[in-house]
Amino acid sequence: MRTFEYHAPQTIDEAVRLLQAGGAAARPLAGGTDIVVQMKESATKFPYPEAIVSLDRVSELRGIDFSESEGLRIGAGTTMADVAASPLVRERYLALAEGAGVVGSLQTMNMATIGGNVCNAAPSADTAPPLLVYEAQAVVVGTNGRRTLPLGDFFHGPGLTALEPGELLAELRMPVPPANTGAVYLRNTPRKQMDIAVVGVAVALTLSGDTIERARVALGAVAPTPVRAIAAEAALEGQPASDETFARAAEAAASQDARPISDIRASVDFRRHLVKVMTARLLVEAASRAKGNS
Amino acid sequence: MMPKQLISLTLNGLPRELAVEPSWTLLETVREALDLTGPKEGCGTGDCGACSMIVDGRLITSCLMLAPQAAGREITTIEGLQKNGSLDPVQQAFIDAGGLQCGFCIPGMVMAARHLLDHNREPSLTEIREALAGNLCRCTGYTKIYEAVQLATERMAAR
Amino acid sequence: MAQETKVRETQRTDANGHHAVGQRVKRLEGAAKVTGKTVYADDIKFPGLLHAKALYAPYAHALIKSIDTTKAKQLPGVHSVYTATDLPHYNRNDSNRRNLIFPDKEVLFYGQPVAAVLAEDPHVAEQAAGLIEVQWEVLPAVLDPVAAIEPGSPLVRDPLSDVDRSEERGHVSVDTQETEQEGAPSNIASHAPFKRGDVAAGFAEADVIVERSWKSAMVHQSYIEPHSTVADYDITGELKVWTSTQAPFYIRDELAQAFDLPENRIRIIATEVGGGFGGKIYLTELMVAALAIAVKRPVKYIMSRKDDMLAATPAPFAHIDLKTGMTKDGTLTALEARLIYDSGAFPGAPMLAGCMLIGGYYRCDNIDIQGYEVLTNKVSVGALRAPGAHNATFAIESHIDMMAKELGLDPLEVRIKNAVEEGDLMPNGQVYPRIGLRECLEAIAGSEVWRNRRAVEATPNRGVGLAIGGWLGGLQPASAICCLNPDGTVNVTVGSADITGTNTSFQQIAAEVLKLPLEMVNVTSGDTKTAPFAGMSAGSKTTYTVGRAVLLAAEDMKQQMFELAKQRLEVEPEDMEVAEGRVQVKGAPDRAMTFQRFGKLSTNFGAPFPVLVGRGAITARKSAPGFTAQAADVEVDPETGDITLHAFAIAQDAGFAINPLSVEGQMQGGASQGLGIALWEEMQYDEHGRLLNPNLLDYRLPTSRDLPPIETIIVEVPSEEGPFGARIVGEPSIVAGAAAVGNAVFNACGARVDEVPITPERLLRALGKL
Repeated sequence: MRTFEYHAPQTIDEAVRLLQAGGAAARPLAGGTDIVVQMKESATKFPYPEAIVSLDRVSELRGIDFSESEGLRIGAGTTMADVAASPLVRERYLALAEGAGVVGSLQTMNMATIGGNVCNAAPSADTAPPLLVYEAQAVVVGTNGRRTLPLGDFFHGPGLTALEPGELLAELRMPVPPANTGAVYLRNTPRKQMDIAVVGVAVALTLSGDTIERARVALGAVAPTPVRAIAAEAALEGQPASDETFARAAEAAASQDARPISDIRASVDFRRHLVKVMTARLLVEAASRAKGNS
Repeated sequence: MMPKQLISLTLNGLPRELAVEPSWTLLETVREALDLTGPKEGCGTGDCGACSMIVDGRLITSCLMLAPQAAGREITTIEGLQKNGSLDPVQQAFIDAGGLQCGFCIPGMVMAARHLLDHNREPSLTEIREALAGNLCRCTGYTKIYEAVQLATERMAAR
Repeated sequence: MAQETKVRETQRTDANGHHAVGQRVKRLEGAAKVTGKTVYADDIKFPGLLHAKALYAPYAHALIKSIDTTKAKQLPGVHSVYTATDLPHYNRNDSNRRNLIFPDKEVLFYGQPVAAVLAEDPHVAEQAAGLIEVQWEVLPAVLDPVAAIEPGSPLVRDPLSDVDRSEERGHVSVDTQETEQEGAPSNIASHAPFKRGDVAAGFAEADVIVERSWKSAMVHQSYIEPHSTVADYDITGELKVWTSTQAPFYIRDELAQAFDLPENRIRIIATEVGGGFGGKIYLTELMVAALAIAVKRPVKYIMSRKDDMLAATPAPFAHIDLKTGMTKDGTLTALEARLIYDSGAFPGAPMLAGCMLIGGYYRCDNIDIQGYEVLTNKVSVGALRAPGAHNATFAIESHIDMMAKELGLDPLEVRIKNAVEEGDLMPNGQVYPRIGLRECLEAIAGSEVWRNRRAVEATPNRGVGLAIGGWLGGLQPASAICCLNPDGTVNVTVGSADITGTNTSFQQIAAEVLKLPLEMVNVTSGDTKTAPFAGMSAGSKTTYTVGRAVLLAAEDMKQQMFELAKQRLEVEPEDMEVAEGRVQVKGAPDRAMTFQRFGKLSTNFGAPFPVLVGRGAITARKSAPGFTAQAADVEVDPETGDITLHAFAIAQDAGFAINPLSVEGQMQGGASQGLGIALWEEMQYDEHGRLLNPNLLDYRLPTSRDLPPIETIIVEVPSEEGPFGARIVGEPSIVAGAAAVGNAVFNACGARVDEVPITPERLLRALGKL
């Protein structure tokens, strides 16, 4: 790795000041499992940083809390391991725990943070589809204070986000899912672990009896950013929770919502096929969880 | 060349102070500056686990941690597992079960196994296989590594 | 976990009194390895050490118009920069990868090293390498070996001359030469035909004929320790090289020729090898030695994982066209094959071995096998554990299942019916010595995986598949020294690099011959200046050849002791024996001299006995091929293409397992590599010949989540010459996995995938789902 200045602020304000002072040449460092690899290979999607602002001493960036009124709040510096293991997350946001619990190895999960996963903005980020189906809001801090935006607006492209120079992702907030909601995340990889999602699918279904009251579907690794599957959601809401409905929605997800590319991990055809198969299966699982069978 | 940063940390139970180059990883620093060459670099990208260390009780890949991030932390490397000159039960079990061949993955593999047993005293085969998935071994096919962890588990339970 | 060792158990009942060989012995160096104390090449430090980093070609085929190193040299901390034009003199031959450090005119593969930077800080060296400015003229890259074979194909490179096959000969000894295509304007580096009988008549006789093409990806050895070398050329004029190699004496000889140095001025110290698998013979040493000679300071070169994946010597892609015929009773009547091995930009593909095996597993009167070693603009290939064998085996073992299925025959019975035995012919007419292929098939029939197959296959999408594999083995001379210490302990010194636990086996062999407790024997692999010669630790031959030398060295020392004891014990040597650390009179064990006494009497001041040094030296001419049978139990998800490996069993003939613990380890390790080839591993290139996955994330080695415990059955059909009947062990285990998994996948879902790795996407295409 080439040299850089290193800063380890203790507070969010200090971190923001340092990032602001460094401008485009300064980058925040969270768990390091993406950016350090990119820097070693001189393969960052931004100019090689002249200054690194490590967030590992900023304790206010870490932590998970929940209230019935505010929902879930996860500090951006919370590790994947902590997200995956958190009873607060597992109880009401199980799909997010499932996403955080498959990232790399145990070692990766002990280092990587949920904020880092989001800010690295890989289309395949495993926490992104679950965050999208839980309608997460990104809380961003800059010198001008805080702003909040829907996570869907946060992703701009592979490696690109809504963060301006000097801004920092501070936390992710998710409203309380409606009653009778079941959600699930699954990804497909060649190996059972230590892999990047070929396709990732998250589904959240809210049932009213046997009718789908509300549906949220999000896809990973099939578009320049993680995306909500709007066509699939439209095919679900208001419909009976039946195999026929699920098949129609899965078809919509594959043919309309997914815009995959061919790369070394999979072809366009294979990705579309997986979206269809996985979406159909996960809708069944989400419906089952919504009925309390998780 | 950026100025070095002075950090203090606890390495294998002993307090240390040292000046570190921020662009060096913890792995490089431990190997080059502290002469502990047990941890290995097999990939440099967090994909093989040969550099695994336990930092504040958590298993990490030290090839992805920058040296100054180790400031104030408690770090255990493979060199820190022996107690009073005798091998850790996990180390002994790897020898006895034949769970090592070329040995290059072993410093990381043993740390991962030790970390597992620190958190789970009776891991099932499935749990063992899950816990070691970040540590690639090219020689053994893992069979005797599973047996080594099972042997260590049995011996620790018998104590 | 069930570890079955049935054949061994039945042998144990005759109890011929072995106390050391045949026992499960822990590795000599185990404690050093589990504590991190073992010294690998990257762990070596010297004052004044310079780190080397290389610049690798960014094109698969290009002319070097100019190289400007000015900016690189200006970077603070850079010591020097070397290109082809300013290296010290060495005997260069551009036809052989091992005789070329940097090209000066033309690069032939993506990742070919073209320059090196030296600096005290490796990070500075790496950064400076990126500052070297090269002007390239990009040329068309030839990437497909099947197209490259056609007349009129663009050429990969200038014609070859003086092709050196010495490294390949270290892996397998075959009484056949490929025909070099030197000087001819073609991409075919060599061609080997094997014919017997009348193939047309054989097919006419057949009741079923299967004809199909099979592909196997380029794969990487993926030792966890990348190539690592340190060299020093000091003031005395001695060249020292500490390197992660399987072949110290081979490197010595090569460097002596390269630099016109006498062999006794070169010292190769083989450091502990962090995995080799055939890939660590001789690669980086020439460059590092040249740099050390240039700067007169120690130089260290550690490949990053990416460097290693770009520029080491992986195992070849192969395309195999195969046609086979069988009669209703399961007799193989004809076999016609064309094997195309992609050698990359330099010769060295293990095509011969593939030809020998594709027609060498089963008796067949009519064969026509044509092997081609084809050049392309890809990285040049090397050996990976039974080099070339898995590619050919995937083809023939898929065919056997397909023909058996067609004829309604049991796949195991068909194999047993046709399996070669002692006296049968290899494709080149060589006669098989005693071998244990049939016994391996009989053993796998008793494995849990095979016995449970009916029950398993009753579950939807589950299947069990079978395949065999084998390796003919390498042969090289070997030697060993056995010395008695004053306290009665024994030191054995060998020249072979210990990559698989061979030194522990040598400890057992010497202890057995001398009837000593194991702990009284220690074994050291010396360097090329201190140890007696040994061939490379490749071709599965180390225990088979060096082990014999150790046996003879211990015997020699024993006989010397008997001679010396004649006067004191008052009997002839034939009436003496060794037992419990003593030389004693047969039938009168109280008339004895302890080893310690011999030690003292041969080393004290004024000692009456000469120093006891046993010598063992052999020539190895008779091979001891090793065979294996393997069974896989897989589950297929027919919608996603996911394949889960539920269980795997391997039976392998070890001749005699000197250390069953390490033999099992070799079998399991090789099997796991075969499974990697079957399901995950593939070096992926783009249309410009650029490697797309030079890392361990996208080049997928199997993890512990992917591999179940492997059921392991040691078969023992003694070899004629090996120590205690031992035969080759290391390599056969990798050979059968691809075919066994392919057959299991077919049995699970009815789709035949003709290309490994069998990825979910390939499986879905075979199923017609994509």
